[in-house]
Amino acid sequence: MSRARLSRYSLWQFRDFAIDRGIAIVIIGFLLGYMTLEPIRRTMGAAFGLGAASPTWPLVISVASSVASLAVLIALNGMVSTDRKMGYYRFLFSKPVSPVAYYAQLFFVYMIGMLIAMLILSGVLYAVIPTFKIANFLLYAAIIYIAMGGIGFFVSVATRFDWVTLAAVWLGSRVLRDVYGPKPGWQSKAVEVLPPVHKLSTVSQSLITSGTADKSDVLWLLGYGALFFALGLLLLRRGSLAD
Amino acid sequence: MDSLPPTSNDSHPAALVIEFRNVGKTYRSLLGNSVKAVEEFSLQVGEGEILGIAGPNGAGKTTLIAMMLGYLRPTTGTVQIKGLPARRYVEQNGVGYLSELIAINPKWRADTALARYAMLAGIPETEIPAHVNTVIEKLGLEEHRNKKVKALSKGNLQRLGLAQALLREEEILVLDEPTHGLDPVWTQRFRDIVEELRRPDRTILIASHNLDELQRLADRVAIIDHGRLQRVVSTGYDQTHQAATRYRLTLVSGHERIRESFPEAEEAGKGEYDVTVSSIKELNAALADLMSRGALVASVVPERSVLEQQFREAIGESQ
Repeated sequence: MSRARLSRYSLWQFRDFAIDRGIAIVIIGFLLGYMTLEPIRRTMGAAFGLGAASPTWPLVISVASSVASLAVLIALNGMVSTDRKMGYYRFLFSKPVSPVAYYAQLFFVYMIGMLIAMLILSGVLYAVIPTFKIANFLLYAAIIYIAMGGIGFFVSVATRFDWVTLAAVWLGSRVLRDVYGPKPGWQSKAVEVLPPVHKLSTVSQSLITSGTADKSDVLWLLGYGALFFALGLLLLRRGSLAD
Repeated sequence: MDSLPPTSNDSHPAALVIEFRNVGKTYRSLLGNSVKAVEEFSLQVGEGEILGIAGPNGAGKTTLIAMMLGYLRPTTGTVQIKGLPARRYVEQNGVGYLSELIAINPKWRADTALARYAMLAGIPETEIPAHVNTVIEKLGLEEHRNKKVKALSKGNLQRLGLAQALLREEEILVLDEPTHGLDPVWTQRFRDIVEELRRPDRTILIASHNLDELQRLADRVAIIDHGRLQRVVSTGYDQTHQAATRYRLTLVSGHERIRESFPEAEEAGKGEYDVTVSSIKELNAALADLMSRGALVASVVPERSVLEQQFREAIGESQ
């Protein structure tokens, strides 16, 4: 009964995503792609549309994966923390609703919304580069949503400043890994437990280009995100909604 | 189920509904400073009871309610509703809750906000429009139903908050500062609504600064200060109550007789006198004596309600 009620409410959650975030993701993603790739397309002409055979292909991959990362940040921003900050939780959860189930559903509704936004943007890219594989890109977007989004979800439950914290964790992991990863000693082992940001570039390259990627890299990314998503749910269950 | 002493409206022992058992809440900052918002708070609320919670600003009223709804975890003690941990009860059954801060997404429309809450409350989809229309009509929001929440005035927002709490027939209602921002007409209307909501199987908690409101609506009032329960006051008049109370008497005639019945009466002008008595019995005996001497009494008004007097004493003691 409660589950059926909550799944009906997912339509409202999707509507909120579309209005508050989906449109913004499409506009920002389009602008980013257009401003970066259009000048190159004009210069290169037909050679630009060759896909993986084009010398500009790594740049296309880089822009596409950046748009996906940005989309995750926009989608996840304030997912839980806004309700807590603004006090919206008070009326929502005086109803017979579990916050854990509510936000778990919200996470996946937003994932669907983000993938639809990525579908629209990759459709535009496909019109310019017919060899661009939409399905490959959507698969990558889904993986990055779980990997980055899982951590973002946890951060949104744990802190009010979620997108700043997530960006800091993401960037910090990258920098620490670059600095300490190659060095011998305990530091190189310690950075292994940081979010696997470094795996994203190799996964995005191979997944968007060929639809395949190193299985262990993908599992590491998904596992890391899933673990933090589960920790976020646990924190919701055990912690307080009010401050 | 445990039972409580009878409430003023019920001759049978009331079933225990809400129980705060030795509850404490301490907030700790990152710097290690701590503030005790609630301390060793124990209280039982029975079925069919309207319990008021009164206290000055920062007394801990809202913290108590947040713990009762499971939004905050107590640092010590437990809060149970019908034998279940508070949060579990709310997740399983829901409560009608009006918070002090009306926080509804400002982009939502008033009627769709209610439809969303109705869906979460478990009202069948086909019945949602009827429930929404009923509360909109009850709270006089017809002309505002299509407005966005951000376009509503403070009073209308308060009414919308109350409307979402009344969407479903809840067994427990929790109203935190319910008349805050309401005009006098809607304040009175709110009181009528609460009277209509009184039911033997419904428990209502009202937290308010407004002692007059609690005196009128509540069966008992828990007075809290500095996070501690100071006392629980029954709002009914107790004929055995011995505390000295001042009343203002208005006489139409027989002014010259007043001091024969009330030797300490002080003239307050316009035919009014302030008298102090030690009990309701003494007041009635003196009034009967005065009237037997031919005086015509127009009104007898306590200078302070029982609650106000107890509140002043309790807060004074805790300072």
